[in-house]
Amino acid sequence: MQPYDGRCWKLPDDISSDQLIGAQHVFDFDPQVLRKHLLAEFRPEIAANAKEGDILLAGDNFANGSNHSHPFLAMKAIGMGLVCKSISRGPYRLSVFMGIPLLTCEADVYERIDDGDRIKVDFVSGAVENLSRGGGFSLQPLPPFLIEIVAAGGGLEHAKLQQGKQVDGPSW
Amino acid sequence: MSQTLAEKIFARTSGRATVAAGEVVWATADIVTAPEVSFPAYIRRLRGIGIDKLAMPERVVVAIDHEVPVHSAAGAERNIQTRKMAAELGVAHCLDGQGITHPLVVERGLIRPGMFVAAADSHTAIIGGTGAIGIPFGFETSLILATGKTWIRVPHTIKVTLKGTPHPGVTARDIALATMSGIPPAQASYRILEFHGPALARLSVWERMTLCGLCIDIGAKSAVVPADQACADFLKSAGASDAEPITSDPDASFEREIVVDLDTLEPQVSVPPSPIHIRGVSEIAGLPIQHAYIGSCASGTMQDLTDAADMLRGRQVNDGVQLLVIPSTRKVFMQAMAEGLLNRLAESGAQISPPTCGPCFGGIAQLAAGERRISTSTRNDPGRMGSAQAEIYLASAKTVAASAIRGSIADPREFV
Repeated sequence: MQPYDGRCWKLPDDISSDQLIGAQHVFDFDPQVLRKHLLAEFRPEIAANAKEGDILLAGDNFANGSNHSHPFLAMKAIGMGLVCKSISRGPYRLSVFMGIPLLTCEADVYERIDDGDRIKVDFVSGAVENLSRGGGFSLQPLPPFLIEIVAAGGGLEHAKLQQGKQVDGPSW
Repeated sequence: MSQTLAEKIFARTSGRATVAAGEVVWATADIVTAPEVSFPAYIRRLRGIGIDKLAMPERVVVAIDHEVPVHSAAGAERNIQTRKMAAELGVAHCLDGQGITHPLVVERGLIRPGMFVAAADSHTAIIGGTGAIGIPFGFETSLILATGKTWIRVPHTIKVTLKGTPHPGVTARDIALATMSGIPPAQASYRILEFHGPALARLSVWERMTLCGLCIDIGAKSAVVPADQACADFLKSAGASDAEPITSDPDASFEREIVVDLDTLEPQVSVPPSPIHIRGVSEIAGLPIQHAYIGSCASGTMQDLTDAADMLRGRQVNDGVQLLVIPSTRKVFMQAMAEGLLNRLAESGAQISPPTCGPCFGGIAQLAAGERRISTSTRNDPGRMGSAQAEIYLASAKTVAASAIRGSIADPREFV
């Protein structure tokens, strides 16, 4: 998995799943439609301008609330990675399952990256570099078995690769 | 080795004698549930990667519960696809308009204490009221449908001891909100809450389900009430003939313990913008409302309908308020009808709808900008029920009924 190199879109603490994609879109699972609704009320310029390789840098308790898959389908369609101060298990799993790489960071890292900074994030090693303002950080990467899922493009893509393969330990 | 209830469940479902909190195991789900909202999308994605078979269709429950009665052509088509795919894949339980998934699987006798239920929908934690553990997986449920199993980090358990006796105006919802007030999200994440204390013996299984279901909104993995004999008997009567009590071992290792004092507890209300913003009802009493709703998977039980009907006996819903009441399942609807509850509620001015998740996510009964609703549902994010400029307050059926009578948020202790 290549490092992500792109614009940082910085969000505050406690961005809820409903803020990411409103509950009125709950029946829609088309990633190309959902990407247009990402943070539509809160920061519409993200859906309009975010590009593949960009990073969503969020505060504590990212995507809290309803365990909706829609925000992650949208982020996947855009091609964004995720760095946040904290995330509960529901959205953490959805991020991995959708093939969106993620890292969690301490408050000092969050403070030293601004909205609009260009940052480079190696999700495999946990290395984060602020190309706009300088500064490098080393974060704890995902466990290897989750990196494998993310690198495959997500849980279903990983399962497809595993089909017909003899694997040690838990098989799909 | 002493085990918590969660450790016992994930040891059994991963084929191990014991597991310890923090370990990652591969667990096989006892039941997998998905609503019509997402089931066809999951199956299309699975078929897209060449998987056209479910690992254990005999364990799968698909419920048409979100858009009921259907009110769009797209919804009608979705329901056709849901029924068709469920039939093609041999899904054992395709429940069409029979009620909201989580109470419905309990009512149908599909749940036994000690089960691991993997669900698409967030509020599966409600199942914890039966001594089983329900965990939401969203879209990842598609893979669990295909393979039957999933990786799980065995959760640490927070023991919540309920102490004392609540006032008659104080309900399971209020106990849940008081518990949530005592545990910040950062401490709840990845944890299971396990309830203890003599007060539980006085809560019905339905009330225990309300208690567990709401706690997921602090970001917990799930919540559970250990199954006592009363719970096992209740589940047996629902058809789970081999239901047995189950609890943590006496010297099991809990990460921490908190105590919730029920003697002094006042009715609680979640205020905007999320369920974890919790206040005592006395702090916000008097705030005018235009809408009141009793229903959702976390409510709409016989207990809640009885609470509301009792409070409305000889009283009328305020002229400026629309009160909507939705029993959570068809069976509850039928029983409430047979016992005269629906009649009494309707006579008091309530509108009654068939079982559906509808209002909880803005599917029906939407709010306009500037309107305010008090509701027994699960979430109050801005825009959840229509306009982002509407406000949603979450409270017990008693508090909602009292507020519907008064036309403003009211303390139910003044009515009981």
